[in-house]
Parts: sequence; C-alpha cells; structure tokens
Amino acid sequence: MLQTLPVLHQIPNKSWMPRLAFVPRNSAPRGDTLVVIFLRGAADVLNMVVPHGEDAYYRLRPSLGVPRPDDSKRKKEERALDLDGFFGFHPSMSALTDAWISQQLAIIHACGAPDESRSHFKAMELMERGVDDERGPASGWIGRHLATLDTGNSSPLRAVGMGTRPQRSLSGSVPVSALRSITDFHLGGDARALQQMRAALSTVYEGDVMGQDTLSIMDTLQQLDPVNYQSKVAYPDSEFGLALKQTAMLIKAEVGLEVSAIDVGGWDTHFAQGSVNGQMPNLMKDLADGMAAFHADMQEYMSQLTIVTMSEFGRRASENGSLGTDHGHGSMMMVMGGHVDGDKVHGQWPGLGEGQLVGPGDLAVTTDYRDVLSEILTKRLNNPAIDSIFSNYQTKPVNVLSG
Amino acid sequence: MTLSRRDFLKLGALVTASAVLSSCAPVYRRLAGDLPTVPWAPLTASDFLALNRLTFGPRVEERARFTEIGLQNYIEEQLAFDSINDFDCELLLNPFKTLNMDANELEGISNQLFDGYDRDKAPNELRQATLIRQLYSKRQLYEVIVEFWSDHFNIFMEKGNCFYLKTVDDREVIRKHAMGNFRDLVWASAHSPAMLTYLDNQANEKSHPNENYARELMELHTLSVNGGYSQQDVMELARCLTGWTVKEHFWLGDFAFKEELHDQGVKNVLGRTIQPSGQSEAEQVIEQLVTHPSTAHFIATKLTRRFIADEPPQQVVEKAAQTFLDTNGDIQSVLRVILLDGLPLAQPKYKRPANFALSALRALNAETDGAAINEHLLRMGQSYFNHPTPDGYPDHSEAWQGNLMPRWQFAFELIRNEMKNTKHNLNALLDVVPTDSLQADVDAVASLLLGAPLERFTRDELIDSVSKAGATPEETLQIIAASLIASPAFQWR
Repeated sequence: MLQTLPVLHQIPNKSWMPRLAFVPRNSAPRGDTLVVIFLRGAADVLNMVVPHGEDAYYRLRPSLGVPRPDDSKRKKEERALDLDGFFGFHPSMSALTDAWISQQLAIIHACGAPDESRSHFKAMELMERGVDDERGPASGWIGRHLATLDTGNSSPLRAVGMGTRPQRSLSGSVPVSALRSITDFHLGGDARALQQMRAALSTVYEGDVMGQDTLSIMDTLQQLDPVNYQSKVAYPDSEFGLALKQTAMLIKAEVGLEVSAIDVGGWDTHFAQGSVNGQMPNLMKDLADGMAAFHADMQEYMSQLTIVTMSEFGRRASENGSLGTDHGHGSMMMVMGGHVDGDKVHGQWPGLGEGQLVGPGDLAVTTDYRDVLSEILTKRLNNPAIDSIFSNYQTKPVNVLSG
Repeated sequence: MTLSRRDFLKLGALVTASAVLSSCAPVYRRLAGDLPTVPWAPLTASDFLALNRLTFGPRVEERARFTEIGLQNYIEEQLAFDSINDFDCELLLNPFKTLNMDANELEGISNQLFDGYDRDKAPNELRQATLIRQLYSKRQLYEVIVEFWSDHFNIFMEKGNCFYLKTVDDREVIRKHAMGNFRDLVWASAHSPAMLTYLDNQANEKSHPNENYARELMELHTLSVNGGYSQQDVMELARCLTGWTVKEHFWLGDFAFKEELHDQGVKNVLGRTIQPSGQSEAEQVIEQLVTHPSTAHFIATKLTRRFIADEPPQQVVEKAAQTFLDTNGDIQSVLRVILLDGLPLAQPKYKRPANFALSALRALNAETDGAAINEHLLRMGQSYFNHPTPDGYPDHSEAWQGNLMPRWQFAFELIRNEMKNTKHNLNALLDVVPTDSLQADVDAVASLLLGAPLERFTRDELIDSVSKAGATPEETLQIIAASLIASPAFQWR
C-alpha cells in the first residue's frame, strides 16, 4: 500500500524495461537449466585452450607461452594437455579432462563479438544485452529469453544471478533474483520479532513484485535447510565454487531454477599473469575445478543441464613487456552438458600468423557468440523466439549441440 | 590457544576501536546531532529530495537549517565547505594515524620485515574513516562529491600495494581536489602511485608498453568510450606513459619517472605530434584531455546522473558541460549549475548501499564507530574501495535493485541495536514528540525517515498487521521503524 508515499509515487516507469511484455510469448515445456559463467575482464583464452600446433603462438609468447604437450625439455605437469593434436588445455585446467573424455564438454575457439572497442565496460554491456551497438534494446539476452518463453513457471527463483546483484544479461520484464549466499538469506532475531517483522514487510511491500518475491524466496529457502546441504563432491573454496554449489543445490531442490548466471572476475591480466603458474593459472584452476566438481555432482542431471562460459573479448596475441597481455579481440567459449557434441574444438581457426591477426595483433573472430547462445536457446531451452532475443542478427548454426 | 603476534596486534586494534567509541561517547552524541527540542516538521517532497541529494540523508538539524535558509543558500553554504566548522568530526578521526602518513611510513607499518607491522591497519582505518566522515561531517556536499570522485577514479584496495597506497591517493588526489579543479584532479591522479599500480603503469616500459592505464585514462577518466579516440591513440599514449612508475627502493611508494624505461621516439596522440621530452609528453596529453569537449560532456553527464537522474536531463548536462569549458573545469561552478538548474528536474534514484545505510543512521542520530557498518556494506555489495574494476560502483538505480535481503537485515539489526558499537537514538528523538498515541508516534517516525507521514490508511494497516502478529505497542513502533527503513519508499532518495 505504500505506493501512495510521497517519495514512492514519483518513481518513474522503469525505462530500461523492454516492451517485450507486449510481444506474444511462446509457450513450451521447460528445457535444460542453463548455467552461464561470465569470465569478467577479458580472459586470455590463448593460454586456456592453447594452439600448440601453431608456431606463431610460441613466437608471440616467448615467456608466457604454455609448453607443447610433447616438449620433452619441460616437466609433464607444465605442458599443455593435448585435446586434438592442435589445441591443448592449460595444465591447470586438467580437472576438465573427465568431462572432455565423456564427450560432455566442447570448445568453440576464436569466437566473440563484432565490437572492437577493446573496452571492458562497453564490450560487456553489449554482450550482456546481446546487441551490436548502443541502439539495441536495453534489456539483457537472458531477460528477453525469459520474457519470450512461458514455461508455466512462476517461481521467484526462475532466474538467479549469483552475487549481490543480478547480471545485466538478466534484466528485462521478468523479475530475477540475486543470491549471494543461500545461508545468509534470512532475517536474524528471535522467532517472535521475526514474525512481526515479516508481517510488517509483507504490508509495506504489498503490490511490489520484488519485495513479495524476496519474502517467498526467504520462505522457500528456509525449508531447504541450506546449512546442512551435503554434496559428495568437494567444490573449490572460492566465490565461484560456492556459486556453483548453490546452483546445484537449487536444481536438486526443484525450486524452479531455469537460469543461473555466475560471474568469475579477475581476468584482466595486463601484468605478470603467469605462464604455467601464477595469477592466471590460479584463475583457470578455480574455473576448471569448479566446473569439474559441478559436472561430477550433477551427473544424474546432466541430460537436463547446459553450462556455457563466455568472456567479453580475448587478449592480444603477443605478450607485453610486463609478462601480461593487453586487450585483444577473439575469445573462446566452452559448452558443457549432456547433449553437447563434445570432445571437440569447434569453430574455424583463423591462425596467429602475419596477415591472420586483426587490429593491433589480435585473434580474429570467426564465430559470433550469439550463434552459440542461440543454439542453446533453441535446441536445449525450447525457445524459438531467437529473432526477438538477438534482434537484427542472423544466427548461423555451430552444431555444438545435439538436438 | 596460542595467539600470534599478528593476531595480538589485530586484537589491539579492535580494542582501540571500541575504546574510541566509549571514550569519545560525548563527541559521538554531539555529532549525532544535538537532540532536537521541538518535533521536526514534515517536508515537501521536493525539499526532502533535494536534501537527500545534497547529503547522505538529512539529519533533523539539517532539515531545520534547510527550512531556515532555503535551497539556494543551503547549496552555497555547502559549496563553501571550507567555512563549515567540522572540528567535531576531525576530532573523531584523530585516532586514525594512518590517514596522515606518507607512503613510506604506511609501507613501514604494513611491511612484515618491520616490528609492529599490521597489514590490515591502513585499509581498515581508511574504510572506517570514510564512513565516519560521511556519517558525521557537516560538510555533507563535500563528502558526497568525494564519494563521486572516488568512484570516478576508482582504485581497488585489494590489488597489490594499493592496500596502503590508496590512503595517500584518498588524501592527496581525491579529497584535496574534490571541490577544486578537474585538471588538477586528473593531474594528481595520473601521478598517484596507487593509480599507477592499480592500472599497471608501474610496469609500462618501452620494450613493450602496457596499455592498461593509458586506455582507462581516456575511456573512464576523461574522454569516455565514445569520446573520439582510437586503439592507435591508446597505444601512443601508453608509449608517452612509459617510465611512469612508483619508487621501490630506499623511499618507497612515491611517484617516479624512469628515463631509462621511457620510449624516446616521436608519438602522435589524438592527431597531435608529441616530440620526445620525457615525463612531459604524457603531461601534454593530459592537458589536452582535460580541456577536451568530450571530457566536459562526460563529466557533466556523470555528475548530473549522480545528483539529478539516471537519465540526466540534457539541457542541464549541456549547460554544465559549457560551464566546465568556460571555467576550465572548475568543479564548484559545474556543481552549482547542476544543483540549481537540475534539482527541480530530479527523478527518484535507488539508494546505493552506503547511501541507504547512512541515511538510516543519520535520520536516527545513530552513534557508531563504523566498523560493524562496513560488514553490512560488504554484504550489500558496496564496501569502500572494494570495486575490482576501474569503472567504480555503478550509479544506475537498476544496478542495485536486485537484492533486498541484506537491506532488510540491516534495518532489522539497526533498530534492535544488534550491531556492534552502534546505537540509534530513536527513543530519545521521540521524547520531544507529543506521545498521545501510537499513531502519532508512527507519523513522527515516518516523517523522520520518509520526509512526511504515511497516508492514514497505510499507517493504520501497518499498525494493524504488526499488532496482529502479537506485538506490544512498544514493539509495534520498533518493528514499524525497521520496516520503514526496509520499505520500498526508503530505498529511493
């Protein structure tokens, strides 16, 4: 009832909200749960999935380059793990080997967005909105997916941004929740005061979707008993590990989770990023260990799960003088799940030689990130409305997923 | 249980912090505002909104002053921040010795090679001091603009040596020039060891330039992403900045220019040829950047967004940008335009977490040493100097609307006085209100927190729902105060 308050009544129409509420929604049964992992800061994908078959790579990265799988001068644990004779995982990503061998993990190399600003903030914004430039819709691509597909699911936990606030990609006309920690999601205090506070909150948030959602999530999660959640696998002791563990818990609890968005920061490695050991290898290890733990924990659910990783752009092919890498262009995506055409590096490799690099010396983009996402949305999440999600973009098949 | 030396020192710091609160209790109480002798009057929506933009949430005494002298005079009074006596707040900051240390001293107390080191002292004191200033300083507009520049020239204190260098940056860059001239601000920031470290310029050498700082200097600090520079300009400016670094031997943590690491070639930035001249090459570019029309427009837009509306009214932005150009970046002049022309056009903005917490504490004349509040800010997503990327904490309402629970937790804990070393003064404030009914009390609390009483129907419904949950009248008032802080209306400023 507080809409009549002197301050509140002036709140403008939420101008960022897209007009998609008026677009007829497709209805379809719920498909996979989608987990979107965003590597913030432009990950150096050339050191994650190493083109060890390319001589130019080692010329451009005399210090940072990850040794070839057959480089007998280096210890085995320091060499790239061969994937297909040309590409190899960085050794700190070895935890992903199981998912790779079981054909539930695929890589799309040299993919990314057309934007060439090399600005983190612009590139992230455009990518999360799924648009070419500022003129496109202000909502996010996941937000538009939720808005165009009626799965008959009214759960306040339909889409969750793991963290203190929902990612830009989630914004749109369907309410989404931010969840930093399930165990923190309750009001303290004694039962009596709590009951009074709940009554008051429910009154002041009458008619407010987000407030009512928060109250019902509070009630739902209270029944989950998150403190005593046991998993048979050990997740990394990191924010990322926690986010994945909580995603697993929500999926198992069947509270209606359709999309979980997770951020992993720290990939802006201009300085001393480390070749085999160090800052960036630590990040890769956290990423790979986390994904591997999730893969193991969710084995029974893999046929209804798709996990995708992305980053706003890649980094310069050559290392800089401070043993780091500056902003580049082409990037890489990983897709994990039960219906992936796995054990394969997809996409067209543009090469790192003279005349093959673009701009100031960057990996070219041969697959648009939206091609990968649209395939997931159509084949695994049952959403045919790709034209509304990635408007003004004609998607092309990547065939990274079986139907 | 063995207590390491480090733990012992940490414990020492905690004891000092709580001693600060108890020994200075009268100061906190005075700072929390002399408790009023007459009840506060409701404000018009526009006056309440203006006060919310000029302060971190108005105290009763500020409401009275505003009502007495009017918007225009209030703005002038706050712009002339130097003439506002802030002795009480300074007294409170007295125990935080690191605030006035130079980089070398700070390094000394943080470096484990020396006796008595404490890695967490400098960052903890800076965070605590920031909260105390925002909460208790009478120079509210100044603190608001300090917060703005701290975002604009964001430095993540967890990166490298920034954990102690930021203290110097806060004092010598941000606070020194916050109300001064934009050119001086950028100049100081470019020579700031904390900034050079944060954006990797300490590793920018001629053999292979590091582009990080050069890019953000143009993208985030001056021209803005579409302000008319190219990738080539980034690379050329990075060459100009080669050798700009931080002293590492004998005297640590000061700015240094190392000729031997500098690229001696001719450069071309933004269409201008820069002849080899060492340190002054990048300085010439800075002079060009700070007077560029794109910079004027970008700064005017961001300031208008902070004070007026998420979608800044274009006529205000244009006038502010013109003033920026006419006055060579005089921040006070630009602010005056934005506030006088802009406040009548202001739109509700969702409070950022620090603003939310501070406005509740200030409305309730709370006494606190700030340590427990910082914990809450971390949970709400805005711990001071803790934003990892150089764009600073976002300023759009949308960015903050996702997570209500930590705000509710804050409201609930605050009213129940469950935060360490923190106590609100709601009861003492209500002592001056004629207490003939619970309804009158609720009206007074709503007026305190939201500027005006609730609609009668809403108020009665609220009282009814809490009573039905089994609360006594006293509990009812307490719970209602908490729920008003947690309410949608209080989230907007």
